[in-house]
Amino acid sequence: MNAGLLDQLGDLATASVRMATPLALAGLGEAWSERSGLLNIGLEAVMLGGAFAAFLVAAATGSPWLGVGAGAAAGAVVALVHAFLAVTCRADQTVAGLALNFLASGVTSFAFLRLYGRGTDLPSCPVLAAVPVPGLSDIPFLGRVLFHQSALVYLACAALVVSWVVFSRTEWGTRLHAVGENPRGADSVGLSVARLRYLAAAVNGALGGVGGASLTVATLGFFQENITGGRGYIALVVVILGRRHPAGVFLAALMLGAADALQFRVQALGVAIPSQLFIMFPYVATIAVLLFTAGRSRPPAALGLPFDRRER
Amino acid sequence: MRLLRPIVTRLVVALAAFLVWALCVHLAGADLGRAGLGFLRGALGTQYGLSEVLVRTTPLLLAGLGVSVGFQAGFFNIGAEGQIYAGATAATACALALPGLPAPVLLPLGLLAGFAAGAAWALGPGWLKARLGLSEIINTIMLTYVAVNVVGLLVRTALKDPAYPLPVSPATPEGFTLPVLLEGSRLHAGFLVALAAAVGVQLLLRHTAAGFRLRAVGENPRACQVAGIAVGRTVLLAAGASGGLAGLAGAVEIAGVHHKLLEGISPGFGYTAIVVALLGRNRPAGIVLAAVGIAALQVGSSAMQRVAGVPSSIAWIVMGTLVALVLARPALERWRRPAGVEAAS
Repeated sequence: MNAGLLDQLGDLATASVRMATPLALAGLGEAWSERSGLLNIGLEAVMLGGAFAAFLVAAATGSPWLGVGAGAAAGAVVALVHAFLAVTCRADQTVAGLALNFLASGVTSFAFLRLYGRGTDLPSCPVLAAVPVPGLSDIPFLGRVLFHQSALVYLACAALVVSWVVFSRTEWGTRLHAVGENPRGADSVGLSVARLRYLAAAVNGALGGVGGASLTVATLGFFQENITGGRGYIALVVVILGRRHPAGVFLAALMLGAADALQFRVQALGVAIPSQLFIMFPYVATIAVLLFTAGRSRPPAALGLPFDRRER
Repeated sequence: MRLLRPIVTRLVVALAAFLVWALCVHLAGADLGRAGLGFLRGALGTQYGLSEVLVRTTPLLLAGLGVSVGFQAGFFNIGAEGQIYAGATAATACALALPGLPAPVLLPLGLLAGFAAGAAWALGPGWLKARLGLSEIINTIMLTYVAVNVVGLLVRTALKDPAYPLPVSPATPEGFTLPVLLEGSRLHAGFLVALAAAVGVQLLLRHTAAGFRLRAVGENPRACQVAGIAVGRTVLLAAGASGGLAGLAGAVEIAGVHHKLLEGISPGFGYTAIVVALLGRNRPAGIVLAAVGIAALQVGSSAMQRVAGVPSSIAWIVMGTLVALVLARPALERWRRPAGVEAAS
């Protein structure tokens, strides 16, 4: 293989990891939520809120890290509102998520236009620099792809490990599983279904918010209306594909991240074909990939169902 | 007291939505009175404003009915936006391909093409749900992004007007035009088509066996399976009707308003239709009211943007708040009622 092609492949792989990061973070968070029985279609709102808050704070303070913190907080607030509607009000989880998506789209666009007006040039914010991992980043090819990335890529890897350990090795993980599969049984042995679901929602929101933040303060460096462009829904697919297992979710995110990166790369080649053909590629790929999982994964038994401990 | 509670909670919801609206106007730095007046005058104050509300009601009502038919069968069609684009494309293509046909033939044919394309766009996710159990929520939204980009692609290639530098299709033939109902306004006969569709949906759901099966599958698919109802086929029917009505909305927009295909043919009608269906509580009469109300909210918000500089996305904030509050309302009604009372009542 000649060096030029290898270089191209390296660029593509690096971009794939970068585009996969928001999906992986949001998908890992949603895995927490869905294991506890909460299906949050409002993931798009979580990511959009995180992306916007991160942009605002990073632009105002000059610190992308403060932006990441703000993104996590904003995402958590959105997810907790969803949990309030779904757990406390026992509302339909899908409808509650949709309502939040509309609300987040309206609030972020309203505030953005109010603060920055309808100018032609997009206001920018500082971006997290790539952090090479000492030693490992010198490995040919792999070093550049995996170990010369923004800190949020490493954060996503950390979230993968922590989620895996919590799900399979801790009491907490078992309890989450219990309220997702059999909330009545969990309730009868003294677990608080509501408290565990709120907890899972908070983790989901924080991770999804950082996922959204990674778009503004790690990748793009600007904000525009509805910048997430359906990535919240794609993250939901990532969770289904990965069967709610952290490693599966991570791999699925890489796969769909690669589709996104490929789309950008082909567009940048400047071929004389309208860009719309490439823009729709990740969405088509998502449907195609979803086809392969048909019938293979079984969701938690109580997923999407409200729980009322007074009923029997 | 028990009778009063639902009325009180409804008033609380309306008041809270109004407060959110007022807060947003205030945050945008506008004068509440001036903005409010601009809102009311824009939506209701003039004959033109009123006619614009009904122009906007038309696609919201059609697509809202579609979303609602899907919801009632348990088919969460949140991709009405994509089906609107599919319907608009098919109607335009049909009209451009058959320019010589007289209006009484071309008009119904084009609208039918729109209905069929919208139905086809929803039948894919419907089939995937019925046969393979795949989430229609994901697939309908993914296909929306595909449809929007397909339209972008077509108006630059196959359907592009060569005489014009911008990405738009040529104008559709005279014959494919819905007549204007009110001199000096844009109000077109598509509004009557939408009202007829509301009556049709009411008849389908409440007075036919297929409608009964559709609602039964939405309530309890497992029981229907046991009772021998073809659940898969019913889901397909719901998906087709749901997407078809949204596709019809797209076709009507072409024949009544735009008369050519262009990008951004729908400023989120398909998403707004979800709000319309939810607020209309899945009843056709309620959906008509919700469509008019939401259309007035949007037209008023646009007027307010012009008059007082308040971004029109305020309409989305109010709609999202309304739906969230409507969801929270049952909990509000339960509030402070001892657990035993609820079990007994």
